[in-house]
Amino acid sequence: MSTLLDARGLVKHLGGRRVVDSVDLSCDAGQIVGLLGPNGAGKTTTLRMLYGFLRPDEGRIHVDGVELGRDLVRAKRSIGVCTQDDTFDGDFTVEQNLTIAASYFRPRPHGLSPRVAELLERFDLAGYAREKPETLSGGYRRRLMIARALVHRPRLLFLDEPTTGLDPQARMGVWDLVDGLRAEGLGIILTTHYMDEAERLSDALTVLAHGRVVARGAAKVVLGDLVGEHVAVVAGAHGEMIAAWLSARGRGQAASVLGALHVPLSGEELADFARAFPSLRYEVRVPTLDDLFLKLSLRP
Amino acid sequence: MSWLVAAVQWQSRAVVGRHLRVYLRNWHTAFLPPALEPVTMLVAFGVGLGGYVASLTWQGRPVEYMTYIAPGLLAYATFMTAIFQSLFAAFIRMRYQRTWEGQLTTQVELRHVIWGEVLWAALLATMYVVIVAAVLTGFELIGLLDMQAPRLPLLLPIVFVAGCGFAALGLCFTALLPTIDHMNLPVFLLVLPMGLLSSTYFPLEHPALVALNAVNPLYHLAQCFRGILLGGPVADHLAAVLGLSLLLLAILVPLNLRLLRRRVLGD
Repeated sequence: MSTLLDARGLVKHLGGRRVVDSVDLSCDAGQIVGLLGPNGAGKTTTLRMLYGFLRPDEGRIHVDGVELGRDLVRAKRSIGVCTQDDTFDGDFTVEQNLTIAASYFRPRPHGLSPRVAELLERFDLAGYAREKPETLSGGYRRRLMIARALVHRPRLLFLDEPTTGLDPQARMGVWDLVDGLRAEGLGIILTTHYMDEAERLSDALTVLAHGRVVARGAAKVVLGDLVGEHVAVVAGAHGEMIAAWLSARGRGQAASVLGALHVPLSGEELADFARAFPSLRYEVRVPTLDDLFLKLSLRP
Repeated sequence: MSWLVAAVQWQSRAVVGRHLRVYLRNWHTAFLPPALEPVTMLVAFGVGLGGYVASLTWQGRPVEYMTYIAPGLLAYATFMTAIFQSLFAAFIRMRYQRTWEGQLTTQVELRHVIWGEVLWAALLATMYVVIVAAVLTGFELIGLLDMQAPRLPLLLPIVFVAGCGFAALGLCFTALLPTIDHMNLPVFLLVLPMGLLSSTYFPLEHPALVALNAVNPLYHLAQCFRGILLGGPVADHLAAVLGLSLLLLAILVPLNLRLLRRRVLGD
């Protein structure tokens, strides 16, 4: 499997702050890498460096074997970008948006007319080909954004929160499309705030917090490393007792969600917890990426 | 010097091509302002004000007032078209339509977007001047103007270079001003005074204005056009307008790149 993205030691300072700190990231053909982290973790800045929007202060990025810093134009020929916000060209129709996007690439995409027709069909946009993009629903706008990012047949696709603001049906439609692109061998870097989306779509996760990579690997491995094997959900009324128990074990505070405490535990810790609170009523569940985000957001 | 090389790279042409495509699609409405504006100006200034002024002395010889302002109209159209395109239209594309951001996700870089805007504004100014020149030729054919109309094509390369300089100036305000409402500041403090006080519509002999106009490319543009179309000195004004336009480009394009890198890319 060929490596389409290889980024090493990325560092970026913005406004005097080190917002990305020694980040490594790679993506192979036919792989979806989820880039996760709470707000302000450095995801967008990292992504913007990876697709050539920002220059890293330190580090190197290779896209399909081409170093971005040395030959940006050649490297960008292999990249497709679907930004978080709609950046389609409002002066053109849906179909024209695809042809005008193709005009910004050299070598020019071959067989452009059939390619545009194929994308319109595949993304279910053929019925709107002559409409202006602003007349489309949110889900179809996203489809147009992804189709536009693919018009020049890139090998590596960046999807920045592609389903934010969409209803469940539209989200699942986008998931199917993304899944199909992976099957065709595209490498995909995906950022999302939806934990179910990251778990379902990503082959590997890279988790950022405070600009640094705090975990990487398959979703279950990342959760095991950072959260634990179990999460005990306890009524908030027992907060002081739980906090004292955690403090005695050198642990930080538990996350509080809608008045309940969510306490991540390893198998050994769960046994100790049960011994320490024999008469306490609580629920034990498997951890999710939501627990990871809660844990990261509580870190100083 | 990568900022300079970008002026001739394909990405800048692709950006110009995009703007041209939008313009040509709306040609029937886009055609009206440059066609109607000179008619309005000639009627208002030439027939209206000209009724009181009748003729004035230019280069030691009497010239009909309407004939005097015809070259000024061409210079004014160059200036206003280039600067308004790089002020308002570029700001809308950058801020509201997010066209630039879409372009920047492709092989187009910010320096190409900037050159694309500058070259497009200059090209649009050139097209507008062609339309204004056609209207003026019509006025000459019916005997309302007395100028050397066959020389009009000579103006076009000068219009393009001057248009590039004016566009670089307009883009500087686009880079600096926080909202579209703030555009009133350069419009009323610079664009309108400069448009009217550059010997476009009437000669200005006040010593302070004469001194200021020595470094005013619009003044030299109007005088250069007058020299070509009415028969007068051209060389000094031509050298000045070309020199000042290239100076504006050399200073403002790198500055715009720096300002817009911060504003658009957040870098």
